[in-house]
Amino acid sequence: MAETLAWRTRNLATSLIAPLRGRAPGVWMLRVGLAIVLTVVFMAVFAPFIAPYSPVKRVDRGYLPPSWEHLMGTDNLGRDVFSRIVWGARIILKVVFMASALSMAVGIPLGLVSGYYGGRLDRVLSMVMDSMYAFPALILAIAIAAVLGPSPTNTAIAIAFVYVPTYFRMVRGQTLSLKSQLFVEAARAIGATHRSIMFNYILPNLGHTILVVFSLSVADAILTEAGLSFLGLSVTVPTPDWGYDLRKGQPFFLDGYWWMVFFPGMMVMLLAMGFALIGEALSERLSTAQTR
Amino acid sequence: MSATQKTLPIIAVLLIIIVGAAAFYVGRSMAPAKVETTTETTTVTTTVTTTVTKTGPAPTETTTTTTTTTTTPAPQFTTEQIVIGVTDKVTDLDPAMAYDFFTWEILNNVMEGLVKYEPGTLNIVPALAKSWEVSEDGTVWTFHLRTDLKFADGTPCTAQDVVRSINRVMQINGDPAWLVTSFVDHVEAPDDYTVVFYLKQPTAFFLALLATPPYFPVHPAYNPTEVDSDQTAGGVGPYKIVSFTRDEEIVLEANPYYYGEMPRTKRIIVKFYRDATSLRIALETGEIDIAWRTLRPTDIEYFKGKAGFNVIEVPGTFIRYICFNTAMDPVSNKLVRQALAAAINRQEIIDVVLLGAGEPLYSMVPKGLWSHIDAFKDKYGDANLDLARQLLQQAGYSETNKLQITLWYTPTHYGDTEADIAQLLKEQWEATGMIEVTIQSAEWSTYVAQLREGQYMVYLLGWYPDYLDPDDYLTPFLHSEANSWSGTNYANPQVDQLLTQAQSITDQAQRAQIYEQVQQILAEDVPYIPIFQGKLYIVARSDVAGIVPSPTMLFFYSTLYKTG
Amino acid sequence: MARGLGYYIAVRALMIIPTILVLYTIVFILLRMLPGDPILAVAGTKNIPPEQYEELRRLAGLDKHPVVQYFDYLWGMLHGDFGVTLATPRGTPVSRYIWQRFPATLELTIFSFAISVLLGLATGTVAALRRGGMVDAGMRVYSIVAYTLFIPWFGMILQYIFGLQLAWLPTSGRLDPGLTVDRVTGLYVLDSLITRNWDVLKSALAHLVLPSITLGIVLSGAYTRLVRNNMVDVLGQDFIRAYQARGVRGWKVAWYALKNAFIPVVTLMGLQFAILLGGAVLTETTFSWPGMGTFIVDRIEYRDYTSIQGAVVFFALFVGLISLIVDIVYALLDPRVKY
Repeated sequence: MAETLAWRTRNLATSLIAPLRGRAPGVWMLRVGLAIVLTVVFMAVFAPFIAPYSPVKRVDRGYLPPSWEHLMGTDNLGRDVFSRIVWGARIILKVVFMASALSMAVGIPLGLVSGYYGGRLDRVLSMVMDSMYAFPALILAIAIAAVLGPSPTNTAIAIAFVYVPTYFRMVRGQTLSLKSQLFVEAARAIGATHRSIMFNYILPNLGHTILVVFSLSVADAILTEAGLSFLGLSVTVPTPDWGYDLRKGQPFFLDGYWWMVFFPGMMVMLLAMGFALIGEALSERLSTAQTR
Repeated sequence: MSATQKTLPIIAVLLIIIVGAAAFYVGRSMAPAKVETTTETTTVTTTVTTTVTKTGPAPTETTTTTTTTTTTPAPQFTTEQIVIGVTDKVTDLDPAMAYDFFTWEILNNVMEGLVKYEPGTLNIVPALAKSWEVSEDGTVWTFHLRTDLKFADGTPCTAQDVVRSINRVMQINGDPAWLVTSFVDHVEAPDDYTVVFYLKQPTAFFLALLATPPYFPVHPAYNPTEVDSDQTAGGVGPYKIVSFTRDEEIVLEANPYYYGEMPRTKRIIVKFYRDATSLRIALETGEIDIAWRTLRPTDIEYFKGKAGFNVIEVPGTFIRYICFNTAMDPVSNKLVRQALAAAINRQEIIDVVLLGAGEPLYSMVPKGLWSHIDAFKDKYGDANLDLARQLLQQAGYSETNKLQITLWYTPTHYGDTEADIAQLLKEQWEATGMIEVTIQSAEWSTYVAQLREGQYMVYLLGWYPDYLDPDDYLTPFLHSEANSWSGTNYANPQVDQLLTQAQSITDQAQRAQIYEQVQQILAEDVPYIPIFQGKLYIVARSDVAGIVPSPTMLFFYSTLYKTG
Repeated sequence: MARGLGYYIAVRALMIIPTILVLYTIVFILLRMLPGDPILAVAGTKNIPPEQYEELRRLAGLDKHPVVQYFDYLWGMLHGDFGVTLATPRGTPVSRYIWQRFPATLELTIFSFAISVLLGLATGTVAALRRGGMVDAGMRVYSIVAYTLFIPWFGMILQYIFGLQLAWLPTSGRLDPGLTVDRVTGLYVLDSLITRNWDVLKSALAHLVLPSITLGIVLSGAYTRLVRNNMVDVLGQDFIRAYQARGVRGWKVAWYALKNAFIPVVTLMGLQFAILLGGAVLTETTFSWPGMGTFIVDRIEYRDYTSIQGAVVFFALFVGLISLIVDIVYALLDPRVKY
């Protein structure tokens, strides 16, 4: 059992790296996507060394355009926009990964159980999840964020709520088709418990799909986080946050102080794009692998 | 193949059916209401014309006005139309419920009370009442009405209408009703042109109260027992409401029956914008002629330097301040509060965050209102870090044992600048080297609920006055029976006694003395730190003239017109 | 199959009910968990005597047990009554707001929708016809970039360029001030056509351009992908080969293929509606569009329980009906679908 698991993990790992090599279609997407994401992660991890100034202190006059001293200019209070962008990467990555981990932790087991056992439980769960899925994510997140109050953790919870149905639906669907397959029946024949079948046989087979859903939903979650911050529901000053900085820059944008809005918005888009590219490339790989 | 060709039309047809059905379904519940109001107004108008010709003082005049209004507008208007943009909203077009500054402004343009503020000043002048007298003990106020008062549809307005409207406010007991119920015991109309108020206690500032919307007589069309939020019948004012589309626009037209001087512009349209940015763009693109409340300071700066626009400053009675929960450690210590008061730098906040759109404030009573003294400035100065450190040391704090406080703000209610004010306060306090500030925020509903319960330590709030009297800047904050909303838990028997005493004295000089004393105590006890008083700006295209900025912060549209 | 289409439609329609119930329940619970209440939110910094506070709560029905409130409101909705507003202005029927706001969102939605479908069809077709090449890759990048555009950011840039610098287009609201149109449907474009009010039509269309382009482009990415992939499939099918063999060439073949590739697009349209409202919140905020999205956000700030419940349920109903219709159309079109 343990061996199979190890083998499957290794298999997953190689299949992760493999697409980076070779000339398969879509390789460039994976490369670009990874480059963007890794750059942002690097920025977040080494923020104290990269950022030239404190992100929360007023370090110069306000409204300074981009220059060598301030790569992306200063905001209305005189804080360095570049430093805020660098530190802001921490917040958005933290929120989005926390949110994804949470929604996976809830969505995947529920999907497994629901798809595996079926019956009334499945019907009720599916209905609840479908209703949530059919409802605009941002509005749901707004309501939850308002209940919980502004802080990165609470924002993560609000966003996690929104993506639980995404994982649930995907895992449930796959489980439904996997549970009637030969290897599962074989496992049942040798007397494996339900739990063991779900987590040792079915779950490892979902690795790829989960990865695809993960990168695509992270891309989406980034936009949701920025949307919440833009509506003023995510962080408290003086925390640097891209969506919030964009909102704060909005009134100055029209006076020609474009850098206060342009850079945070661009970063949101780039990061979302990075994850979307990875997700695209992986899902393409997955679908070609399946058709073969 | 043929099936796909059919797809689009089918979808289109089904969509239209659904939309139609939905619209009909929702619409059904409203349609009757609309019809009702229309019929009601028409019947009223007809009956009115007859009564007026019978009893009216000058029947010939009445007939002429009636005919002119039904055909064409009076010819004396200088300007056909002016469009004003705002980011505020109209809440309830009903003085029994409206309790926000902007709705009060609209009400002030379509209604008037017995007295009003002279535009551009804080002087109270006769309006619907031409004269009045007060009884010896200050509890009975008798007002003599003008005899030529009519509502916007020609219905005469008499003393009975005044009494009916005020009783209506008392009965509905909406948000602003306390402005009546806390002071007025009952009100009577001995004849058509006399109104007598019997007050619960002598109230020195009763005239200031009378100038507020809850005291305005309203048209009989207002629902007598319930709030009538979208009622457009109005009262006796220079303008009447022609149409009102909530959150989009309200259209006013000169009231042909107004007793006073006719407005110079026939039609005023007020457009509602969601935020300052769109308001500003609207002004720039010529969608509106005047941008009123509230552009951002940067926008004001921008328009100041731009040809084709005039920026007019309006002295504000709006104040911003810091509150302390005096029951919560460590700010329960008076020395701590004093230190915090000494350390702040008001001018820096105004310059950096508001770009000059404010006036440093050193008392809760704003500058320009009688009895104001710079109590905090005299006691602490500004950005007095030495004094702050000294006081903190006395309280037992040092560079190693720092004072830890939590500062709360609310992100949207007071505009986007709020976050910047919080950040600056943090910096200024931390500049003492002996304070550490954590900033927290909560959106408005949560903020209000939690601060009332005393959950916050240090928090930012603002105050729009209800009536322009020092009493309204002191009693609601400092009187222990009136300040439960504030979450400060401040109670000082001496202050309570002084404030109660001042309410019953009619002599202004005597009252001023008491209020000065209260302001001194305020600066000593520091349950609040005043930061600044707002300045408002009206930005108009340069062909707009006749803007009279008022310290009441209400904008009267009737003097507006366009040149050229 | 045996029970027929009528049965399928009935079951499918009944499924909307539990969906709405679940949503209503989620929203109801979330709202009651929010700290604060509509009475205090409106009172703000003003003193409100305890008796008056209790009275106002009683008038708003907030003194009742939440369970009672839950069923009261549900019962009302069954009769088509969405309750009255609790925050200012108090006591206005919520249906009146829906009546006012919904057409605004619908109009924006329809136009963004049209733009996104047209853009998606165009880019997707081009990509499919030139598959494997630079154009295909370019369209792919387009679909991803469009999808990841941050709406307020993109909207602001458009406002800046076309509203402020070039001054071609209005940047906020639905109509120029002073213009009004007799309400027939509440969709200004349609109403002005019906009443032949050309000034209003011009103004309404001008106001629609920027917001619907913003939302339309963002949503078009998904269609680009879908249309491309379907076209590629269809182009490889026998009947297309047959056409080509008969000498039908180029764009004509594309047209046949496009018509066939349209079926899945219909399905996506149904799904996109929910996403659309989410996007509409940000678009409406950026362009001051007086629609349902901004309405819900505003009302959350004041804890106006009934307004939010009513708006959410109404919208869910609408989304449910749209997807029902899409499903029915789909079932009618595609004989492979089993019902």
